[in-house]
Amino acid sequence: MTERLTAGLLCLFLLLSPLSVPATAEEADTPLSVAQGIVEWKKKDSGSPDGWLMNDAFLETAGSTAGDWYPIGLSRLGIDDRYEDYLAVLEDRVEARYRQPGRLSAAKATEWHRIILAVLAAGGDPTAFGTDENGQPINLLADGVYDRGKASPLGRQGINGMIWGLIALDSMRYEVPENACDTRESILAEILSAQLPNGGWAMNGNGADPDLTAMAIQALAPYYKGELDTRADVREAVDKALGFLSASQLPTGGFMSWGTENVESTDQVLIALCCLGIDPLRDARFIKEGHTLLWGILRYRQPDGGFAHSFSYDPQNPNAKPSQSNSMAGEQTLLAMAALYRLENGLSSLYDFRPEEAGAPISAVFSESDRQAVDTLPDPLTTEQYVTVTALLDKLTRSADFAEKAAYLQKLMAAKAQIAEIQAEIDSLNAVIRDKLYPFESISLWEKRTVDEIVKRYNALSEYDRAKIDGREDILKAKAQIDSLLRGVILSAILLLTAAVTAFFLIRRVRNRKEGAP
Amino acid sequence: MKKNILAVCGIALILAILINGTQVQSVSEYYLTHIDDLTPESERVTISIRCDAIFPHYDELDPALRSEEFLPPDGVILPPTEYRLREGDTVFDILNRAVRQNHIQMEFQGAEESPFGSVYIKGIHYLYEFSCGPLSGWVYRVDGAFPHYGCSRYTLRDGQVIEWLYTCDLGQDAGAKWIGGREN
Repeated sequence: MTERLTAGLLCLFLLLSPLSVPATAEEADTPLSVAQGIVEWKKKDSGSPDGWLMNDAFLETAGSTAGDWYPIGLSRLGIDDRYEDYLAVLEDRVEARYRQPGRLSAAKATEWHRIILAVLAAGGDPTAFGTDENGQPINLLADGVYDRGKASPLGRQGINGMIWGLIALDSMRYEVPENACDTRESILAEILSAQLPNGGWAMNGNGADPDLTAMAIQALAPYYKGELDTRADVREAVDKALGFLSASQLPTGGFMSWGTENVESTDQVLIALCCLGIDPLRDARFIKEGHTLLWGILRYRQPDGGFAHSFSYDPQNPNAKPSQSNSMAGEQTLLAMAALYRLENGLSSLYDFRPEEAGAPISAVFSESDRQAVDTLPDPLTTEQYVTVTALLDKLTRSADFAEKAAYLQKLMAAKAQIAEIQAEIDSLNAVIRDKLYPFESISLWEKRTVDEIVKRYNALSEYDRAKIDGREDILKAKAQIDSLLRGVILSAILLLTAAVTAFFLIRRVRNRKEGAP
Repeated sequence: MKKNILAVCGIALILAILINGTQVQSVSEYYLTHIDDLTPESERVTISIRCDAIFPHYDELDPALRSEEFLPPDGVILPPTEYRLREGDTVFDILNRAVRQNHIQMEFQGAEESPFGSVYIKGIHYLYEFSCGPLSGWVYRVDGAFPHYGCSRYTLRDGQVIEWLYTCDLGQDAGAKWIGGREN
């Protein structure tokens, strides 16, 4: 995988030609150079300026919106990174979430769609991604797209459930079984029927939104270009949507969504045009006062290479820094650059993952440094080693046999189990704290044993794991409360005893005196 | 005789202390256990949590949630409640304190997992985003206005009023005009 990506990167590097952008400042910029700026910024932002973008802290977020789009963007640009480790952690996370009610999400089908694309981008197979609690392979495509309806309607969160479902379905031109809840036809029909009279699509009935319109075009693109059977109704719908987008483009080349001019809307429109095979830098419909979409995007670039979401400032909020690099702006611009890069180099479109990227997994080599990593695992372990252990175990399972393979396997499996145990303890302690320590006023000496137990369990955790306990301050608070209550009881007892003894002697003295007095 | 008077005084003193309470705390313990006490001079904010916007959209509500267990008859999950404002408290800090104090279920996505760089509230009281139609979820208001950014980035000032509202149409039922779902 790594070798293939590197080779691909080299080839594409040679093919690359500078863009002709009408603004002088950006003449030297290519989609790849812009993307590399974002990568440099993101590396610095996540604390590994000289390492991989996917450092352990980043891999912890695999399976979330913030963790999945960067790998997709990087892979589609042919930039090398830790895809295998990412895939190992993502699979582990998906397996864990499949054991919870609602699996990846009870209501949000796009949770599946994003992960399907991420799995493909990293070189995995979303139709057999880990196993569920019954030992059956997890088919994200069935559970997240065509049979999603068995659990919850595909469109529960709105038309974007349909749009992203279709993008996921066509990412590898997957076949849909005959008895499926939703088919290509039914999803296409839903998307087409949701188009507004002005040609756009909307989250909420009335105002068409450029982002959602652009995403709808991305989903419809394969049926426009004639890759999948070209459909007259799709062509008509897309042309109308392009008309709407062209009319909404601002003189800056950019777009406005929900009242704010922002970079992500422009990114999505650029991706849409690239998916249709339209050159966004030359199509007259998308150049306003000499400003292209790319110009509209590059306006948001910051000196650190990252991208800001928007320029507008909200005086109400001293914390919001509008002209500052932001993770979502970076990730969506990275995707836009990947789309443009692929168009210019004659590669398949952004979400078309056929042949080039998806292939049979190559057997891994468990290297000397991997063995060393296992040998130097700390004892006791903490959840900080979760990413390392998960990635190493996955690699070892796929590697060819060698003399100590069984021993390493045993060691890593034990480590994995130990970390899972610590995680379970963290979850259980969090639940106990939530349950027992509130409201604070109700804590009395009767809770001493509970509080002591919580303190003991908390202290038994490593420094790293303690940071995952919510309400740490409340543990200290409860402990202080119990201590002072206890101290009060002891003090009262001593005082009572003193009073009783003093009283006893006093009474005796008085009695003695009475007896002594004639 | 003098000794007797002293002893009586001693007993009286001890009883007085006992009646007055015997809390003996170091300064730091006192500070810790009284950190959230409301005193006349302490800074404070008010928070409430409501879901009454669901009633006009009841037919869109996830059938599994159609019971009083999840949907209080008056739509009030937490009536306006005062909390002491600590230095640097955000809207999220107060919400978190309030739901923990009152044993209200809440699920959120941490700032590092959210593309917004802020904590994102997925569900309160088992009512989640999309539980009541495609435009439903939790929004918040401070002093009647809808801030344009995540709740863990909004630092509060003395006397502000926070309302967490369940919306069924991206906040328009609560008066917001802009709130958008950009997340894919």
